[in-house]
Amino acid sequence: MHPLLKKPRALATYLLVWLLTGGALAAAWAQLAPTDGIWGLGFWLPLALLTGLAALSLYTVCRSTPLRPARWMSTLSRRAAAALLLALLVTAVAALWNATGTLWGRAGLVTLTPVAWLAFFGAQTLVFALSALIHDALLAQQAMQAAMATEAQARLLAREMEIKALRRQLDPHFLFNSLNSISSLIQIDQAAARAMTIDLAQFFRLSLGLGERQRIRLEEELELVQHYLAIEQRRLGDKLRLSIDADAACRHVWLPPLVLQPLVENAIKHGIRQLDFGGLIELSAVRAGDRLTLRVSNPVHALARRDASGLGQGLRHLHQRLQAQYDEPTAVDVEDTADRYTVRVSLPWHT
Amino acid sequence: MTLRALIADDEPLARALVREFLANHADVLPVAEAENGLEAARCIQDLAPDLVFLDVQMPKLTGLEVLQLTGLRRGVIFTTAYDQHALAAFDLHAVDYLLKPFNQERFDAAMQRARQLLREGAPAVDRMLSAQALTRVLIREGSELRVLPLDEVEYIEAQGDYVAFRHAGRDHLKAQRISELESQLDPRQFVRVHRSFIVNLRQLQAVERTESNGHAVRLRSGKRLPVSRRGHELLLGVL
Repeated sequence: MHPLLKKPRALATYLLVWLLTGGALAAAWAQLAPTDGIWGLGFWLPLALLTGLAALSLYTVCRSTPLRPARWMSTLSRRAAAALLLALLVTAVAALWNATGTLWGRAGLVTLTPVAWLAFFGAQTLVFALSALIHDALLAQQAMQAAMATEAQARLLAREMEIKALRRQLDPHFLFNSLNSISSLIQIDQAAARAMTIDLAQFFRLSLGLGERQRIRLEEELELVQHYLAIEQRRLGDKLRLSIDADAACRHVWLPPLVLQPLVENAIKHGIRQLDFGGLIELSAVRAGDRLTLRVSNPVHALARRDASGLGQGLRHLHQRLQAQYDEPTAVDVEDTADRYTVRVSLPWHT
Repeated sequence: MTLRALIADDEPLARALVREFLANHADVLPVAEAENGLEAARCIQDLAPDLVFLDVQMPKLTGLEVLQLTGLRRGVIFTTAYDQHALAAFDLHAVDYLLKPFNQERFDAAMQRARQLLREGAPAVDRMLSAQALTRVLIREGSELRVLPLDEVEYIEAQGDYVAFRHAGRDHLKAQRISELESQLDPRQFVRVHRSFIVNLRQLQAVERTESNGHAVRLRSGKRLPVSRRGHELLLGVL
């Protein structure tokens, strides 16, 4: 339905404008053909109203076939056809209406020559073409507003994800378990207890600082990850083995904070912890043309895999977060083989 | 009397801390340590310890699942760092637990409470566990323990004092009565369609009418099982 039909006041104003137009036409007609006199009003007023109502119907045509550069021929011809058809229809109704003049003993309400009828038809066509144009403009504006609202929403979502990622960073489970480990170490190995306290402090200091920034260097993210892994290594013992491979150029690339950290957390939670003898976590950063590829790979237990149901969603969120942060495309891919789970993140190379 | 204790936690340092605090209790002897839920369940079944220090968040099986699956109710001391879900259940049923990190005083208090409950039984733990629907079952195969995810079980059949879990085309037997098992399952997913059968609704293909005007269910595997009149009412209620 036309949006104007839902707003009674706007509709009334719109129809009033058409009535006034009809009145003006009647006044002009009285000058042009003095013999018709007041009869012109009876002809022009209802027809102006009818034209106004008919013009609204082009909204449906414009909406069902939006203007697109690729299909301009078909969309334009459709509008033209609709305008011509409507003009023909209104002219036919006008002719019939004019014929009611015979009831009053006249040839017609007004006297129109064939040439004048042709001009009438032409003017109608023009009015309807104009209506299509206005409707297209209004629809384009609406679409733009909708797109802007969607974009604002996407940005809001991205911000929300970031806050969630931050909160996850301050995982209370991790904090309290680490404190418990330190409490245990104090009795067994005081130097190790102190080292673990420092790692824990550094980890929290870094994640608080990094999370507030838009872009950090990979180097900084790796430092955070290394403090985290040092803590986990003390907790899990020799179950957790590590290899980190990133050259100096890669370490200088800018990227959003907390991209690697949640991946490493998952690698431990769903990979290493589930395995009786633990395993090796491989972290690497590689340049591929104008892109940076980050890779986190961990061994998995064949049966424990089913417990990782939340994982797909986490990666989807990560990808959404990255998409919102870059104009260039980003990618998050998973390679899931029988005994290893590998996540690859591809980002633009920004230095 | 000496109390034999099991310490179940996947972190070596956390187990060491419990051992350290236990040194104050001369009558408690740590007899085994487990680093995941399945190992803990095995130790409980094989050694029948008097006291179990049970971490809630362990790999393979959670602490609560270990209890659900072994039927152990007495002498359990839960330990956890932070598990909102478990903590809510503990508080709701007034079950005592040790929040990591904890000190010797708090540990001693928990021990005292546990000793008292050892004599009186622990209805609170029982109430808490029965409020949680079972999601996995423990099956003994020869000398091995296996965990069966209930989601993947097709149907369960009563066989005298045993129940048979149909999983991946094979039957797995467990010594349990079907009515007792029924009460532990999520009634929205598992329906007792017949005196002898419980069906996993995720595996349900169709409910059919039989020639004798009764009903039957057909499962995804093509298997057909009879449906009693009461079973049919239960099915209608859930579907």
